[in-house]
Amino acid sequence: MTDNDIIAQILQGDRNLYRKLVEKYQPMVFRTCMGFLHNKDDSDDLTQEIFIQAYQTLSGFKGDAGFSTWIYRIAVNASLNKTRKSSKSLLVQRFEMVFGNSGKQEYSFPIPDSENPENILILDEHRELVQRALESLPENQRTAIVLSKYDDLSQRQIAQIMKTSEGAVEALIQRAKANLREKLSALQKKKKK
Amino acid sequence: MNCQLCQKEMDAYRGGTLPEGIRIQVEAHLESCDACAQMNQLIFLSDKVMDEEKNLQSNPFLVTRIMAGIEDLAPGYESYHPVSVFQKVLKSAIVAVSLAAAIFIGVVAGNLYKPATPVNKIPVEMVYLNDAALESVDLLTN
Ligand SMILES: [Zn+2]
Repeated sequence: MTDNDIIAQILQGDRNLYRKLVEKYQPMVFRTCMGFLHNKDDSDDLTQEIFIQAYQTLSGFKGDAGFSTWIYRIAVNASLNKTRKSSKSLLVQRFEMVFGNSGKQEYSFPIPDSENPENILILDEHRELVQRALESLPENQRTAIVLSKYDDLSQRQIAQIMKTSEGAVEALIQRAKANLREKLSALQKKKKK
Repeated sequence: MNCQLCQKEMDAYRGGTLPEGIRIQVEAHLESCDACAQMNQLIFLSDKVMDEEKNLQSNPFLVTRIMAGIEDLAPGYESYHPVSVFQKVLKSAIVAVSLAAAIFIGVVAGNLYKPATPVNKIPVEMVYLNDAALESVDLLTN
């Protein structure tokens, strides 16, 4: 039974069949949410909201782009809304604090000398920092890099979800990577001063 | 190899997709250039953080939670509408009225209660058994 068959039956009243779609697509929606929110509980909650919202608007699904593309779009929009509403200004403030715009706190950033178990500790120290760097990216760059890095989607799939060309997606990912490096190395230089 | 070229090839180097000759050049540059070596470590860290988040599993009951949420919706999702302003006002009004009624009943019940008072016509030997006639223990001990 294809996704479209399942959706047709749900629309005819068999709401229990929706479980099949949830089971199939819930891991990828959760990963997308993690890419934006970086918090497991928040991502669980948002995944739940996304599937309920998708269910309520299922009659609007046209079937021309595939259910996965459709649910990814809902997931990306919901995640961006969530970050805009709840934390963007706060996170940007914290990021600016870390990167010296307000300059009150020095952020320690030791660089690991090899890929050994010590890196686990170092990783803990820098997790928040990398998350801030991701959150500071413009929304379209962030979306492209999350779909690429967290969901392992091809540039073609990302282009479909973002309703743009593959070339544009490639450019977005390159710019996102360059921005991430720039922000992280700026921090490193600041630490050396 | 210069820094610009090294950093350009870094993704491919990390992904293990560089041809042998270029890979050796990148490695030699990383050995000799602190800036590029540190950049390589930064990319390593951010990749690790993203991989770690990506591999997190959702709540094992998430599917059940979602389906319960669907069950809670009004029958027929087309007919499902968010709670209207009128319903919200009505709900608040019912809560306020219930609270007022509870307070009123409490006050009325309180007024009906008459505290025990010393009863005059009881035998002298029974007077100390009347709680209301007993002196405070505090007074007796001071
Ligand atoms: Zn270099």
